[in-house]
Amino acid sequence: MVRSKTFQPEWSTFYGGNLSLLTVTCQNTGSAMMPNRTVRSTLGLLGSALFLGVTLFAPSAVGSPPAPQKGSDIFRARCAVCHGPNGEGGVAYPRALTGKKSVAELSRFIQQEMPPGPKHCSKEEANLLAPYLFNSFYSPLAQERFRPAQVSLQRLTVRQFRNAVADLVSVPHQAVPNDPPTGLYGEYFNGRDTNAKTKVFKRIDPEINFDFGTSAPAADKFDPHIFTIAWQGDVLAPDTGDYEFTIRSDQSVRLWVNGWKQPLIDGHIRSSNDNEFTASIYLVGGRAYPIRLEFIKAGQGVDDSKQRKAKPPGKAFVSLLWRRPQHATERIPSHCFFTQTDVPTFIVDTKFPPDDRSTGYERGSSVSKEWDDATTAAAISTANYIVSNLADVTGVPQDAPDRKERLRKYCERFVQRAIRRPNNSEVQRIYVDKQFDSAANPEIAVKRSVILTLISPRFLYREIVAPGTHDPYAIASQLSFGLWDTLPDAEITRAAAAGELASPENLKNQASRMAADPKAWNKLREFLFHWLKLDDVPDIVKNPVHYPGFDVASVSDLRTSLEIFLEKTAWNDRSDYRDLMLSNTTFLNGRLAKIYGVNLPTDAPFQPIALDSAERSGVLTNPYLLSRFAYLDASSPIHRGVLIVRNFLGRMLQPPPAAFAPLAPGLHPDFTTRERVAFQTKPDFCNACHGVINPLGFTLERFDAIGRLRDKDNGKPIDCTGSYVSKNGMFTKFTGANDLAKFLATDEEAHAAFVEKLFQHLIKQPVLAYGPTTLNELNAKFVENRYSIRRLMADIVLSTITKSSGKQASRKVTQDESN
Amino acid sequence: MNPIKSRREFIRDLGLSAAVLPFVANLPSLAGLAKGHRKQRLVIMFSPDGIVPNTFWPDAEGTDFAFKEILKPLEPFKNRTLVLKGVADRVRGDGDNHMRGIGCLLTGVELFPGNVQGGSDTPAGWSSGISIDQELKNYLQANPLTRTRFGSLELGVMVPEYADTWTRMSYAGPNKPNTPVDDPYQLFAKLYGQKKDQETLESVLDDLKDDIAKVRSVVAAPDRKILDEHTTLVREMEDEIRVSRTRDVGHAVPPLEPGVRRENDKIPEISKLQIDLLVSSFVADSARVATFQFTNSVGQARMTWLGIKEGQHDLSHEPDSNAAAQEKLTKINQWYCSQVAYLAKKLAETKEPDGSGCLLDNTLIVWTNELGQGNTHTLNDIPFILVGNGVDFKMGRSLKYGQVPHNRLLMAIAHGFGHRIDRFGNPDFCGAGILPNLT
Repeated sequence: MVRSKTFQPEWSTFYGGNLSLLTVTCQNTGSAMMPNRTVRSTLGLLGSALFLGVTLFAPSAVGSPPAPQKGSDIFRARCAVCHGPNGEGGVAYPRALTGKKSVAELSRFIQQEMPPGPKHCSKEEANLLAPYLFNSFYSPLAQERFRPAQVSLQRLTVRQFRNAVADLVSVPHQAVPNDPPTGLYGEYFNGRDTNAKTKVFKRIDPEINFDFGTSAPAADKFDPHIFTIAWQGDVLAPDTGDYEFTIRSDQSVRLWVNGWKQPLIDGHIRSSNDNEFTASIYLVGGRAYPIRLEFIKAGQGVDDSKQRKAKPPGKAFVSLLWRRPQHATERIPSHCFFTQTDVPTFIVDTKFPPDDRSTGYERGSSVSKEWDDATTAAAISTANYIVSNLADVTGVPQDAPDRKERLRKYCERFVQRAIRRPNNSEVQRIYVDKQFDSAANPEIAVKRSVILTLISPRFLYREIVAPGTHDPYAIASQLSFGLWDTLPDAEITRAAAAGELASPENLKNQASRMAADPKAWNKLREFLFHWLKLDDVPDIVKNPVHYPGFDVASVSDLRTSLEIFLEKTAWNDRSDYRDLMLSNTTFLNGRLAKIYGVNLPTDAPFQPIALDSAERSGVLTNPYLLSRFAYLDASSPIHRGVLIVRNFLGRMLQPPPAAFAPLAPGLHPDFTTRERVAFQTKPDFCNACHGVINPLGFTLERFDAIGRLRDKDNGKPIDCTGSYVSKNGMFTKFTGANDLAKFLATDEEAHAAFVEKLFQHLIKQPVLAYGPTTLNELNAKFVENRYSIRRLMADIVLSTITKSSGKQASRKVTQDESN
Repeated sequence: MNPIKSRREFIRDLGLSAAVLPFVANLPSLAGLAKGHRKQRLVIMFSPDGIVPNTFWPDAEGTDFAFKEILKPLEPFKNRTLVLKGVADRVRGDGDNHMRGIGCLLTGVELFPGNVQGGSDTPAGWSSGISIDQELKNYLQANPLTRTRFGSLELGVMVPEYADTWTRMSYAGPNKPNTPVDDPYQLFAKLYGQKKDQETLESVLDDLKDDIAKVRSVVAAPDRKILDEHTTLVREMEDEIRVSRTRDVGHAVPPLEPGVRRENDKIPEISKLQIDLLVSSFVADSARVATFQFTNSVGQARMTWLGIKEGQHDLSHEPDSNAAAQEKLTKINQWYCSQVAYLAKKLAETKEPDGSGCLLDNTLIVWTNELGQGNTHTLNDIPFILVGNGVDFKMGRSLKYGQVPHNRLLMAIAHGFGHRIDRFGNPDFCGAGILPNLT
């Protein structure tokens, strides 16, 4: 890596012009393009940065053609003297230039009126001026762009809503058990049911995958004709979505997942020769759910043990599989099984419209009919669940003499937890007492109270902390939603009530505690996938002739491999950002080892491997990521480069002016991928952006379409040199992925980009809304804390509590002042 | 102008958006709009363990016959009753007679081989075919004229809480047994839950609007926009509920006696609640087909309310010579018959919503059993008592056949609904076509 200070290229000095980037249309490209809105809000941030006199951290747009900017030139020359350099008004004309005229109307007006006096602008001048004014500051949209960033009222995101309802309704317990995952408890019975008298032993089974043949689990302890096994514990759902469970067995089987009333799969009656049973359930990610699988090798109905034992024993097998979101059907791995059995969690499975992501991160910035309908439906189904399991959920027995009063107390607590603060008298009256006093019976009262609470603005909207006022409950909520995407837990609520959160020391300790909780890992994990643009990956398909064995199962394993990598690097005690960039460990199992040329037994479980350790470095060289940013048969330096520019370096790229198909390799059979990409993006209007994108993407050219190391491309040696000019003009040359990774691990711009993106993911507000220096300070702490991501998470959330955005926020008051 | 509209058009014309769709479930089916078509309905009632032939079957054939003890409760509906003797369940294969008795009763086809061992014979699994009620449901649901909210309802009384071959008679297809709903409160929630939810929701919307206004008054001006939009959405929802309610040509939600526990001694109460809800669902035209299953094959109801302490299945094994047992079995079966009669009575007393006579004019009740007689486990002379005028059979008769396969009766019922299938279940038992002499 070679760094040198150079003159800043012309394109990087300009922030707002028309930029272009080559679009390629193929299966993987859609997400590489940034929607227009993103750009607008970028400009908005930029505008506000300028407004606040801070340009250091204004994200800069990369590349611009040297197109004439006559509109602005004319404005500066002829208009700014009265209207001010940005139309904000001047001495002669103190009002800001804003309004609702169209571009054409503006142009006509300028021709007829402006500047005042004998010589108005010509038609040509007006036609250049009008669009410039309109887009720069005149139109309401332009005004919106220039509005200073501020904390705005946000509703819970869908993710937050689902988590909050789950934590509200269910008996509180840890999201995942404290003990590490090892497997399920298996209880083995020497009989045709789970009668305790016939129990032989209990052990931990890491996976459920047994072929007993005609024998028994332990030859001397069972009759091979008849035995029963019950596996039980928790199963971790890593992501939110539909989980398809499959049992393969030739015997009686039943599976319960997150509920004991009804088996999810009831295969205890064998009928016909189908040995596969499948059913789906919707689960919220980052939580463990109780699971039980019963396996019975015996006849059902009338006891036929004697007849069975008179014959030689038959065969028996059983395995338990699942298809989780973004994965292929696979055996449930032991790292998702816990021996502890928790109580079921109520899960809202109502379908919601997706949250706004136009600014690059999920946030609850708008409401819609679909959202309101979904929220209402979810509230009703939650209330129905509570009422139909009233004794279990509330702990109030059906025949309790003071049942109504106790249920009223339950609702009181329910409301308090939902709105994250003690009920004031008005809240108590509307949400609890009024419902209990008017309903015909306690069931209806509970139902009304729950529905009203779950569609209430006090539950659905995040609180806004007023500066200067100490609102411990709002602080508790900010901590828990910021770090966990869910309601405050008992401990932080207790600390808030005890007044402990007024002390910065206590606050910091609470934030550290919460940032170390598995719920924080779940939120960080979601961020990492989002940051790597791997949160919603379309099918990855490769040419089977060139990449034999690279099938859906391998792709699924590769994703698992990345999941393990992220957890091992980002969620250990160091939690070091630099490890993400530099660790040369790759996790492979038997199937992947074969594809990537490592010698492992076929059925080997995932294990750390120093795969091509001289050439690989960190997450950018992860085979899953490299496969995702590649074509059927070829690598894609453009996709890889765009990911680095936008997500690792935090630079802005505009979408290309038109959609371009990538050149087919066959058109230039002699070209390497690098040569082909360089050839196609040669024109000036491409090069503005691709001059930045390509040299970064080229550094990963040693890795082919499935992220396998190669020495040659199309028979030629590989050129993996590249370069980057940072915002401050520093020119850096790289050779290969290691160089690039070292740069990203140490570069301040890359750190700042990571900090800002994580900030947005956690807080769901623009960082500038918390003051012009916040990002800077967070960066400094990040370095100070040796790049600990976990510490950074705590610091980010704390920064939003100890700081407020001054003037803007001072107009806000907390909801609690409404009484 | 074509009076027939799609359900979507119909709902659109009411000015309802998709959002309120869950709430308009009680709208009349489209069929209600089509004049000149009668709403044919089918209820198949099941009671277990065979009957007592001597006190069940009328001696005479034809129109001039007398009911014996068990069938006496049907006396008021004698001219609307058709007694079919000599119809046999000829399906063999895996499973004991109780299993095949219930599993092949409405499907007319063999059970799959499986792992459920009966009291004799080879073990079996689920039925390998669809049952006639589901076949007819599919037929009626395929036609917009006869389509209803649920199509069919599977009801029961004290059906054991485990699923096996003895507890299931309705099959959506091979290996797809339907679970009967035997809890009146669960049935009520299924039929009227959404309407109740709507009422509950409506009752809190005023409080919600007030509170949004209160919260709105204390947030900064730029943040009021999202709350204003939210308020508009709440108002829209309120309007939609109001519209759907005023358009609901509705059927009052029937009262439901609370707190009836699911236990043996409450069978009469549960039975009555279930029958009442079934009739209500017909008034609302929520379904045209229903099965109604008392306990299960090998059922062990102890009819303490008749002064009988023993379980029914145990009694059913007693020989003919045990007169006391036979007398009890007669009383037990007479009680089941009284439930059939109660259903018939309710249907006869309830007017069709369009004013064209009563529900019984358009409903066929088929009362049947998995066995001909308990102590022999015979599958000959399976009881088939038909009540009501849902299909154009000539009622008021007692008919005797020579152990013809019951598949031919199942086909005849389908034909009665206009579903002209030429085979049902195992084709070997369908060769001679539908059961003769019915119309």
